[in-house]
Amino acid sequence: MSPDDFDRLQALMSSRAGMRLTRDRMKLVEHRLGPVARAQSFESVEVMLAALWAKPVASLGWAVIEALLTPETWFRRDRSSFDTFASELLPALSAARGGDPVTVWSAGCSTGQEAWSLAMPALEQGLAIEVTGTDLSRRALEKAKSGTYTGFEIQRGLKAQTMLRWFDQVEDTWVAKPQLKAAVQFARSNLVEPPKDDYRFDVIFCRHVLSDAEPSRRGDILDNLERRLVDDGCLFLGPDEQLGGDTVAFRPVAGRKGLFVKAPSALRRAA
Amino acid sequence: MIGMFTHADVVDALRIGVLLTPRTCLIVDDSRIIRKVARRIVEGLGFEVDEAGDGAEALIFCSSSMPEVILLDWSMPVMDGMAFLRRMRVLPGGAGPKVLFCTIETRAERIAEALAAGADDYVMKPFDGDILTSKFAEVGAA
Repeated sequence: MSPDDFDRLQALMSSRAGMRLTRDRMKLVEHRLGPVARAQSFESVEVMLAALWAKPVASLGWAVIEALLTPETWFRRDRSSFDTFASELLPALSAARGGDPVTVWSAGCSTGQEAWSLAMPALEQGLAIEVTGTDLSRRALEKAKSGTYTGFEIQRGLKAQTMLRWFDQVEDTWVAKPQLKAAVQFARSNLVEPPKDDYRFDVIFCRHVLSDAEPSRRGDILDNLERRLVDDGCLFLGPDEQLGGDTVAFRPVAGRKGLFVKAPSALRRAA
Repeated sequence: MIGMFTHADVVDALRIGVLLTPRTCLIVDDSRIIRKVARRIVEGLGFEVDEAGDGAEALIFCSSSMPEVILLDWSMPVMDGMAFLRRMRVLPGGAGPKVLFCTIETRAERIAEALAAGADDYVMKPFDGDILTSKFAEVGAA
């Protein structure tokens, strides 16, 4: 892959997905695009990219973008955020909603582990919940929807008790039980695109997405998250992710790493 | 002269005491290679590690010194993991250790059986550092 190819890939990722592709990922990019080139019947990554630059076909462009997104996730990643959600936020929100389902968005859900991790503690407490997982990657979403994980994936972050309670063993894999699946839905969504309707969630988990985002697009992503969050809702980022100067819409909650609520300015705008 | 110590001094002393007493983990597996791989990961979590090649050896170890965490294979010569677990739990202090089964046995019924017998968690082989680290965290040992 030429430096020019890489520059164009960087521009593609930034403009369409708001994601940053750093130069140290050149090798990783070549590795990830190999299977895409083969699946699309190109003889090499170089030939595929040349074709894409000559005639930017949307489907090929998205296949390339989706292959370059970071799929890394696991169950209850950053356990303290899930504990805060399950033992403090969820009961309070459920009571405040009068028993109506608490709505949670797993934004950038990849293969779905986060979405299941949010639904399980609610069902265990007998609280109504609706989790929506979204991602750009169709391939990741397919896996998320199937709720099917290898032995390797299922036990990363999940206790054996929890695994047995919520997943059925099917040959060598573990599949989310129907009762769990009923509480979670998955859909494709691009975080840099503004919401097209007024639907708002009680809680948003958007972790380890902003740290991969192109710095100039972080503000857009955060604004879009803010528009999707109810005024008294909560936003969870990764524990080491900070807002910096990217937005005035949220403020951090003291003593709770990665937890944010709407700033007064955002509330006024909403009112 | 106890009055000269502030609360912060006492807290510091306690913290240093904790740091000077490494946490202990006993790895029980008849495969030397598995013990070696697991040891490297568990030491990385800040544990002092001891090894046993079967349940009988592990039981002798536990009767003189109870570790905080036990990583336990199921199928072993002399005494298997399940027999060890049942006997270890009735030793003085035997309720203390967090026991993580770590075995090639992956059938749901067998996992349930191990948990019912008093295991705190269950690791299916193959595993890696991330899995073991998350399991240690989930049982409150990391």
